[in-house]
Amino acid sequence: MRIDNVEIIKDLARGAVLLGTGGGGDPYIGQLLLQQEVREGRSVEVISADSLADDALIVSVAGIGAPTVLVEHLQAKGICQQLLQKMEKQLGQRVDAIIPAEVGGLNSVIPLALGAQVGLPVVDGDGMGRAFPHIEMVTFSVYGNSACPMIIQNELGDTIVIEKASTNRKAEDIARVVAGSLGAMVYSALYPMSGKDAKNKAILGSISYCLEIGRGIRESRAQCTDPFEGLMSLLNRPDLDRYAKILFDGKIVDIQRETRDGWHFATVTMQGLEDSHDEFRLELQNEYLTAQRNGRTVCLVPDLIATLDRETAEPVTAEKLKYGQRLKVIGLSAAAMMRRPECLEVFGPRAFGLTEPFVPLEELSP
Amino acid sequence: MNGSSEYSSATGLRIGIDVGGTNTDAVLMRGKDVLAYSKQATTPDVTSGVSSAIRSVLMQSSQDPAAIGSVMVGTTHFVNAFVQRRDLQEVAIIRVGLPMTSGILPLIDWPEELRDQIGEHIFMVGGGSYYTGQEYTPLDRQAVAKAAQTIAERGLQAVAVSAVFAPIRPDLETAVEQILREELNDIHITLSHQVGGIGLVERENAAIINATLHTLANKVVLALEHAMHALGLDAQLYLTQNDGTLMDTEAARQYPITTCAAGPTNSIRGAAFLTDDQDAIVVDIGGTTTDVGVLSKGFARETSDSFEMGGVRTNFNMPDVVSVGLGGGTVVHRLEAGQVVLGPESVGYKLSEEARVFGGSTLTTSDVAVFRGQLDLGSKALLNDLSVEQSELVARLAHQTVESAVDQLKTSAADIPVILVGGGSVLIDGDLKGASKVVRPEFGTVANAIGAAIAQVGGRVKQLLDYQAEGGRDAAIQKAIQQATENAVAAGAKIETVTVVDIEELPMPYMQTDAMDVRIRVVGDLNL
Repeated sequence: MRIDNVEIIKDLARGAVLLGTGGGGDPYIGQLLLQQEVREGRSVEVISADSLADDALIVSVAGIGAPTVLVEHLQAKGICQQLLQKMEKQLGQRVDAIIPAEVGGLNSVIPLALGAQVGLPVVDGDGMGRAFPHIEMVTFSVYGNSACPMIIQNELGDTIVIEKASTNRKAEDIARVVAGSLGAMVYSALYPMSGKDAKNKAILGSISYCLEIGRGIRESRAQCTDPFEGLMSLLNRPDLDRYAKILFDGKIVDIQRETRDGWHFATVTMQGLEDSHDEFRLELQNEYLTAQRNGRTVCLVPDLIATLDRETAEPVTAEKLKYGQRLKVIGLSAAAMMRRPECLEVFGPRAFGLTEPFVPLEELSP
Repeated sequence: MNGSSEYSSATGLRIGIDVGGTNTDAVLMRGKDVLAYSKQATTPDVTSGVSSAIRSVLMQSSQDPAAIGSVMVGTTHFVNAFVQRRDLQEVAIIRVGLPMTSGILPLIDWPEELRDQIGEHIFMVGGGSYYTGQEYTPLDRQAVAKAAQTIAERGLQAVAVSAVFAPIRPDLETAVEQILREELNDIHITLSHQVGGIGLVERENAAIINATLHTLANKVVLALEHAMHALGLDAQLYLTQNDGTLMDTEAARQYPITTCAAGPTNSIRGAAFLTDDQDAIVVDIGGTTTDVGVLSKGFARETSDSFEMGGVRTNFNMPDVVSVGLGGGTVVHRLEAGQVVLGPESVGYKLSEEARVFGGSTLTTSDVAVFRGQLDLGSKALLNDLSVEQSELVARLAHQTVESAVDQLKTSAADIPVILVGGGSVLIDGDLKGASKVVRPEFGTVANAIGAAIAQVGGRVKQLLDYQAEGGRDAAIQKAIQQATENAVAAGAKIETVTVVDIEELPMPYMQTDAMDVRIRVVGDLNL
């Protein structure tokens, strides 16, 4: 699949907001980066992991930092390319392909822009099939890959190499501190892995899924019918072991926000449009964690929760939620791999301080 | 000059005008009294409609034109020109940002036809600031001087300047302006920090839009001044801005973009003036749409979310308004089984030809209002095929549409006063769900023109402030208020009347300092 026009880029960005499950950073700046590449005549090939040689070298590239800084600094041309070169030097080997760490939010598009710049393919997959706030919250990490050597660089060329970290969580902690002193917005090359690793450990097909979602919303909207009909028939595919439900249709009656220890916490309360006793609640820690209807849990992390405009089905990030907004909330099953016990330990409910055990979306009654 | 302004202060006579898509409304006011008002059709050139509206209120009140002290005009003409791609001029774009920002060039997300009209005169130069206000590299003055040469060679007349974190370091942009002024004569320069907030792409877009409207703004302001002169007026002319404050013609020529949403703001301010409520929801029902906005402490609540204007994403201050397709000319579709659907299309200014009560063939919301006895217009006898059930259904739908828009704008579940204004406000005759009371003020149909007539002068500051570096929160806020006050006085406010309207603090997550995005707005009475 080749990404070579503005329409496909916008579809991707729209899908990335939905898979960002409330967070992940608005992919708009990433979208513009990719638009710039396409305008200058470049494009990027998204390849299936099957086509990778087992000993190929695959690397993730991601932005880390404050959205407010990103929207001013944008991105210096070539910064991710330099990171890639530094990683190659570190490992003494050429990189064969790039893989996104997260398909939700900004970091889905940054690897694609880099791929277009340097002419490397991007693997159709990622480490979570959604967005998470920490770099250790990826399947690559769960199944034994180290984030290191991890190279962090800002736009002026200041560079830090984390050669080794005792755990990937430790690498995350170091990266946060470093990012602060490098100007609050940095880019990183991390998780060098083999082609075999990518095949076995990544959530496969997530970029095409992201694109399918963005395109699906646009097309069902153009058909002038209820855009949710088309979207849900695309998302809910029990034959592919993929489940999706409309969890709630209502309006926001309260939002409580708090920033603590670098996290964005929020509780969003909604009510039914006709029945004000029908209450729905979303808990958020950068991304949505749980959805409850009248006190009963209807969706739990790592399953995905997305908020969409109830008329246009445009996905809305949690940052933009306001009192009175009319939304449909949908739940999506996470990829099967994400629901394994060893994965749930790293990014299941307990990892976020919740006491409830994980129950798959399809087993919870809405 | 002095004598003339003393005279006008003494009489306190002023004319407020709102140029809408369909109607140009005018009011003549003395102090708090409305002496005369008028509704005229809006004309494509704006000025003839304004002239007839002024003439009408002068005639009604038999006032001497020379006694009018000031004329305040709210118009959406500039934004319409941009949306319709009319009268746009080429713009040179100077971005101070290298080595950052180079991965995304200006205009990248603009529609092709607009890029063609603006031209692609892009100059990327070195310089810019961190969020801390510290420069990451000094401004490349030579590159700016070189850009100035090219601008002169290409004969460009307008420049948009943007710099990384200019809301914190506006001096980076003013330094560029200085260099350009040394090198170029008679050039229009828009600085991004004057028109937009945090978000380089959106702020730069706002600056480019403003620069491209510069020639048109000159033309319209001149035409308005000529028209006033021809009517024998020796009044000070002002335009109203999105935040409900005034700017003089010099500022209007410089920053036409800040007028683009003045209409809804003026309605909200006018509604506040006509009632005793300072906190309410204002529903302005026109011919085609209903604009619902929030009156908060006497002012229109603003939004700083990014939005698209004519296909371009931007982020300047706008009143927080929900627009829905309901107005006096809205078409009523009758379906089978007694169902009805409202609009969204409207017969607009053709109401007196197309509506059923005037012998036309289109059933409109106004026809239903006549049937129900809310409105006396045309011939009710022409509506004999309408049933009571259907007309009640239409009324209920209209109420529900307004109720839903009101609910979207409330910030809490508690009931709140609702003020109904605008020519189509007769459509709503009963109570509204969510409203603690429904107020229908006298002169409500020209609330927008009244809002223009009572507009004050404002000043604002929008900055990322590091409280630690500024000596604590209180000291930082005080300094910012002082700056905003100075801005207001410079714009013509009486210093002793300046008060703070709004202090907004948004914490910046991920940053390791006490940085806050601080927005302060002050207003004062016009120093006449």
